[in-house]
Amino acid sequence: MNEFPQLERRYRRLLACYPRAFRRENEEEILAVLLACAQDKQRRPGFAASADLIRGAVRMRLRLAGQPPRAVQTAIRLMYAGAAVQLATLITLVVTAGQVHRAVARRYPGLTEAQHVVNVHLLNDYIGVAVGIAVWLWLTWALVHGRARARIVLAADLGVMSLSLLSGMAQGSATYAPADVIAGAATWLIALAATVFLFTGASSRYYRPGPRPVTPWHGTFGTM
Amino acid sequence: MQEATYLILTALAAGSQHGYGIIGDVAQISGDRVRLRAGTLYTALDRLKNDGLVAVDREEIAEGRLRRYYRLTPDGQTRLAAEAARLQANATVALRRLRTDPAGGLA
Repeated sequence: MNEFPQLERRYRRLLACYPRAFRRENEEEILAVLLACAQDKQRRPGFAASADLIRGAVRMRLRLAGQPPRAVQTAIRLMYAGAAVQLATLITLVVTAGQVHRAVARRYPGLTEAQHVVNVHLLNDYIGVAVGIAVWLWLTWALVHGRARARIVLAADLGVMSLSLLSGMAQGSATYAPADVIAGAATWLIALAATVFLFTGASSRYYRPGPRPVTPWHGTFGTM
Repeated sequence: MQEATYLILTALAAGSQHGYGIIGDVAQISGDRVRLRAGTLYTALDRLKNDGLVAVDREEIAEGRLRRYYRLTPDGQTRLAAEAARLQANATVALRRLRTDPAGGLA
């Protein structure tokens, strides 16, 4: 008889963060250990246990196919950092939207057209950054899974970002706030560094077509 | 080698153990200083399996739940022995220096 039905259900939700193949092989066993460690009448996973499971899931998903060279590992870390920077940018945009509206209202009292323009501009920013994050995460996933074409897509994305950044800087603060330009420049620099690392000789050999000895979650990302 | 990895391999050096057993053994070996959690343990075991240092010994069903026993492989034994020797050599040097250093306080 299951003594901890609610706890088991909640642990299963956390374990759903792990890659499917890993879960298929290990979920029941991990669950048995988690429930063996549970206290009497425990209904919710503790904070430390939850954090540990999520950290484990992230580490499993960050592992690369085969034995990747250091340049590829660095590039992947940069890609995740770039996604984090863009997420921080999106959060900042959402949090500071009210301030922008108030500033415009103070400067142009009664001018509803200006508010409308601000709304459209902010909406464009939200969509642009959200799409950017999605593209980066997809690119990172593809690179982790050894897809060579993702390098080309990243290089193309870098080209688009370069043009966009140059355009923004050329127009000065007329269309971009300084924080926008800083965030854009940080993302651009990360993309540039990741692209350079992905086109080194060792990285190119890694992404050369051919069978890989192990499946993605079975590679080794860090050192022991 | 990370300490958690070293302790897991050490726990398996005496014979095969299941996950819950490894957690308890690691706590005992480390004097309750290291308390492995399930996420950390199984991420490490998965990596060690793929590196060929640990293998599944057998599986059982206990109280309706899967219990999988792990054992050290010959490569795992070699790796653990090398790491233990390295740590022992470092400790020996440290203790010798502390004994010979007048300010060390152990003489």
